[in-house]
Amino acid sequence: MRAFNLYLTIIILASCLANVVMTFMGQNDLTVYFTVNVIIFLVITLLHVYLNPAARRSLSAIALVLFGGFMVIVVLKVIEVLSS
Amino acid sequence: MRQTRNPYQILGLGLSIAGAIFAPIAYFLIASVPLTAIAISAVMIGFTSLALANARPYISPEASEIILKAGMENTAALLEELGLRNKAIYLPSSLRGGRPQALIPLKDVIELDRIKEKIPGRLIVRYGNNPEDMAIAVTTPGSIKLDGLDINVGATPTEIERAMTYVLTGLLDLANSVAVIVMDNKITVDVNGSRLHYEDIWYYRCLGSPVASIVATIACEALGKPVRIVEESYQRGKSHILLEVLS
Repeated sequence: MRAFNLYLTIIILASCLANVVMTFMGQNDLTVYFTVNVIIFLVITLLHVYLNPAARRSLSAIALVLFGGFMVIVVLKVIEVLSS
Repeated sequence: MRQTRNPYQILGLGLSIAGAIFAPIAYFLIASVPLTAIAISAVMIGFTSLALANARPYISPEASEIILKAGMENTAALLEELGLRNKAIYLPSSLRGGRPQALIPLKDVIELDRIKEKIPGRLIVRYGNNPEDMAIAVTTPGSIKLDGLDINVGATPTEIERAMTYVLTGLLDLANSVAVIVMDNKITVDVNGSRLHYEDIWYYRCLGSPVASIVATIACEALGKPVRIVEESYQRGKSHILLEVLS
């Protein structure tokens, strides 16, 4: 299960680092935090192409949900820009 | 009472529940966006961990090892009883009725021109017309694993390397990485972080270690030609396997 452990460790370290850096940069928008975390998840999951098929199926389902959330934020931001 | 022993499930449930409880507290009571973000991250990682928990095999690695060793010991006993010391020839599925297998010939020198036709799916097989053209055909760890492979194994070195990495690193978690060099009829495979290494025992001398067996099966399946393990060594977590493509 070393492949799973490595994958989880990289995701945990990357999201912790991103959150800490954004906090120190004074970021106070929750959508930015969410977007960055979703991008980290998607990139790391894409890089781990050699995970077994069952794991990839489950992770794809999670990625789809997170990508849906990301798209909602993008659409809301576009509406906000267009209406202002 | 059913006991949960899957560590990914425990981690996933813990992070998801803790994150889901802490997120509204951080946002509404503490009014801290960074803490809310950490709670959301915890939920995301928790669901990821739960997804990995469902992908774990139903049988434990210990049980798998016992089953693998039992199969290997039975084959080793058969080889020793028959006094077979020749290197096995790994045949692609096209020559063995849909499943790649290893052929251990009874005589040292084997004329491969005689194995052009499909060999019958039996334990003791005749591959040529002469009475001494006899061999035993055995299923190896690689033969079983390739049945469920959902990727196309191409004949180029890159495709062979990708298939070997997919099986050894992703599916079986037996190695950290695989490097393949193809030169004429020789294929050099370096398996880094190999967990099942070569031992100087009868079974391995004939059929190779389980890792070499998987590598040879993928190579013969990719090239559509018989393959033999010429050399195998293990040093500092790295398995060096030399394959010969027979044609």
